[in-house]
Amino acid sequence: MTESNRLHVSDDQLLAGLANGSDEMLEELYRRYFPMVLHLIQNNSGTEDDAKDIYQETLIVLYEKVTSDSLELHCQLKTYLYSVSRRLWLKQLSKRSRNGYSLIDTEDLADVDADLIDHEARDRQFDLMADSLDRLGEPCRTLLEDFYIRHLSMQDITEKFGYTNADNAKTQKYKCLMRLKRLFFSVFKEE
Amino acid sequence: MIDHQKFTDWIDKWLRNELTETERLEFETLRRSDPVLAQRALEQQQLAKALKNYGQRTDFRSRLNRIHARLDMDAVRDEASQVSKVRKLHRNGGTIRQLWQTYRPILAVAASVALITTFGTLMLVRQYQSSHKQQEQYSMMRRDLQAIRRSQNAILQDLNARERALQINPGQVAGSGFLLSPDGYLVTNTHIIQDADSVYIQSTHGDIYKAKVVYADRKYDLAILQVHEDSAFRVKTVLPYGFEAGPTDLGERVFTLGFPREEIVYGEGYLSSKTGYRGDSTAYQVAISVNPGNSGGPLLDEKGNVIGIISGKQTSTEGATFAIKTDYLFRAISAIPTDSLKNNSIRMSRKNGLAKLARKDQIKKIQESVYMVKVFKHEK
Repeated sequence: MTESNRLHVSDDQLLAGLANGSDEMLEELYRRYFPMVLHLIQNNSGTEDDAKDIYQETLIVLYEKVTSDSLELHCQLKTYLYSVSRRLWLKQLSKRSRNGYSLIDTEDLADVDADLIDHEARDRQFDLMADSLDRLGEPCRTLLEDFYIRHLSMQDITEKFGYTNADNAKTQKYKCLMRLKRLFFSVFKEE
Repeated sequence: MIDHQKFTDWIDKWLRNELTETERLEFETLRRSDPVLAQRALEQQQLAKALKNYGQRTDFRSRLNRIHARLDMDAVRDEASQVSKVRKLHRNGGTIRQLWQTYRPILAVAASVALITTFGTLMLVRQYQSSHKQQEQYSMMRRDLQAIRRSQNAILQDLNARERALQINPGQVAGSGFLLSPDGYLVTNTHIIQDADSVYIQSTHGDIYKAKVVYADRKYDLAILQVHEDSAFRVKTVLPYGFEAGPTDLGERVFTLGFPREEIVYGEGYLSSKTGYRGDSTAYQVAISVNPGNSGGPLLDEKGNVIGIISGKQTSTEGATFAIKTDYLFRAISAIPTDSLKNNSIRMSRKNGLAKLARKDQIKKIQESVYMVKVFKHEK
């Protein structure tokens, strides 16, 4: 991708695009700040894959903030992304038992403590849900995903799974949901 | 009692906003009336939300991965290395800033420690110095008579005219002095006679003579007095002691006579240093006990030579008395303008008739030439 066909959009437009799910905007956002993070990680004993993971997690932090309407940007988007990536990478480094590691910085830093605490909470919830769904097994998993995530109607589900009628499907969904609930709430105690 | 499955179904519909108006009303009523059902609704809502978040993130991840797969990594690497190139151009500023950001907390701690140490030390030193200064004060051994006026009055009961005059206007300061020459020149300390209106000397017998200040040297703290045209003063033929201008050795046994009170008092000690207070080379340090009133008294060596004039002591240290060297007495005398002496030069003798006498006999002879110096001043 060369300079000429790069999109010339502001950070605000990128954020708006992120919120309404525009792939084009997301790609531009991804493209715009990845080199910065790649440089940060590679300069601080990380690989290209590390950089990819850290950057994607950073974008998840941003995305979930934007979609939950709780993003309060007090600095440039660039600074925000850099600060979040930096913190995530530090955490990663300390997990690899490199305590007291201090990074070589090239950018200004912003205070992202609160955002990262939120992110950690969401992370736990996500991991718990992923784990619960894994243990739930098929066809319950797909059934619940279809209903709650992909928002299919019960009619669609009845047809997709080959149930004789919608009531059967409902009963099945009910049983699956009860099992998931047990799995999930056996650990999840928040809110 | 509504069955579980149906209620669960309603919650799903409620979450999806698919309840009909009547169903919604019934649902709300149920929820409000039954806490157990309300809790179930809440849990299911949380579960649905967690599922939705899960789905959202999974979806977003796959979008990111799709984008990443399409990414021209060479261009990205290129740009990343340009980041470092740009940084390298400003390496100095960049490095300093990095160091600053990395070591800022440590620097802050170090700076505070340095500050506290510096100012703490300064304060301690100052405190020590000021307390030390007060202690090391050089105290001049003159005696303030004001405080002992009453006892003095009681002592002076022989009423001759001069003593009556003293009782009316008693001396305010007293010290010691001794004869330089048989014809009535005496030496004492300048700090005793300064600001004097009149100066009297009193012998060990209680005879009082008026004296005038011939010369006062502030630098060496030496003052020359002369008995003032007093016929009662018996001119001696010769003084018992001589003056020794040469340096005296450490450890020399020395003694002094002076008037710390109305009676002459003898004190004995040894020469402990060739310099005086804070290295003052014009004085000796003598281990001898003196009191206010001893100032101006002679310091004599074993043989009865005057080697110095008692001038003060260090208050913080026991037995650190200072005496001005005789050498400086000579210098002071030679500095006197000749007309103040009215052409009568001070005939000082180096001859000493005491050398072979016992101390008691030495003292008997010397005390005749040692006087109490009484100074009168205007009340200020």
